[in-house]
Amino acid sequence: MSSPSKRHVPLLLGSGKSVAMSRGGDKKVSLNLTSMIDMFTILLVFLLKSYSADGQLVTVSDQLTLPKARIEKKVELKLEIQVNNSVIVVDGDPVVSVDAELLSSGNSIPVLVTRLRDHLEYSRQSRGTLTEEDKKINIQGDVGVPAILIQRVMASCSEAGYVGQNLAVIKIVSSEGGDS
Amino acid sequence: MAKAASGRSRTSKHLPEIDLLPVMNLFCCIIPFLLFSATFLEVTVVEMSATEGVSNSGGGATANLMRSEEDRLQPKIIITDQEMFVGTASGTVHVCYAMEMELNGEMVITYPWDSLGTKLEEVHDLLSEAYPQISFHKITVLTVEETRYDNIIKAIDYAAAAGFDQPGLQVAPSSSVNSAMAGRGD
Repeated sequence: MSSPSKRHVPLLLGSGKSVAMSRGGDKKVSLNLTSMIDMFTILLVFLLKSYSADGQLVTVSDQLTLPKARIEKKVELKLEIQVNNSVIVVDGDPVVSVDAELLSSGNSIPVLVTRLRDHLEYSRQSRGTLTEEDKKINIQGDVGVPAILIQRVMASCSEAGYVGQNLAVIKIVSSEGGDS
Repeated sequence: MAKAASGRSRTSKHLPEIDLLPVMNLFCCIIPFLLFSATFLEVTVVEMSATEGVSNSGGGATANLMRSEEDRLQPKIIITDQEMFVGTASGTVHVCYAMEMELNGEMVITYPWDSLGTKLEEVHDLLSEAYPQISFHKITVLTVEETRYDNIIKAIDYAAAAGFDQPGLQVAPSSSVNSAMAGRGD
């Protein structure tokens, strides 16, 4: 029979208690965790750097691809309108479907105006008064929607009383460059 | 002497080992938490300004005059299917031609944005030199109906980088914009 191998086989994790018996005898071995600790430390620093205490204020729909820009202004929690080439969604509810007729004129969209007015009226009744911040709205538009649709949505917001309109974009980090 | 006969120090015989297991436990808790709560895409917003001009809530008459002067002088980025222009009170200049590029299997129109950035910086410098009493922030993006939203945001982004950080949006029928640009005097 061949003699037992002298290769150390670690069986338990840890350092002080992580001892294993080698196959050939009673020699104690320990697992070296230093490299793993190094890796975890780097990962921890990276994750802590990208951690935001504010959390995700805006939920971006899977149906949307937001455009990218270098704008720094932080997003605030407001009423959200999502616009893509098939539907306009207000606060999670589909309000208007986008068709050729909708894209034919540049005025406000009556159904959308009514929905937004209702929301503003609800805010006024629940809070007693409306501040300028309550009259702001976030518009999330897909990169492919035509200008006329965005213009109609913005006109509808203005008509309903939302004077501050913010267009949501994905922030480009500086190393990514401006052009795409 | 103090040194042992074997050549080894007596104190180095039993080196104390640091117990890394609690550290590993801590890391194994923190890293999944941070991974789940990490946000790798940061959403920001572009604040659009109303393009109607002077508001009634302004301070004094001088401030209103300044603002109306700024409104009168505010430049326009004019985007058509073929070209891009920058228009000011003193005239309209050509910036660049549109290009077609393939994006996700379809051909889309885009523009060389760096040339717009350069032109807008020139316009901002010229306006600031000519009217040092006015701080220029407003700009209007005038575009045809079919322009992609992506292109509008890019134009606003480059305008903000040049100092025009209060953008407005106007959409006009393609026919009227194209005919106006065809008959413009540079």
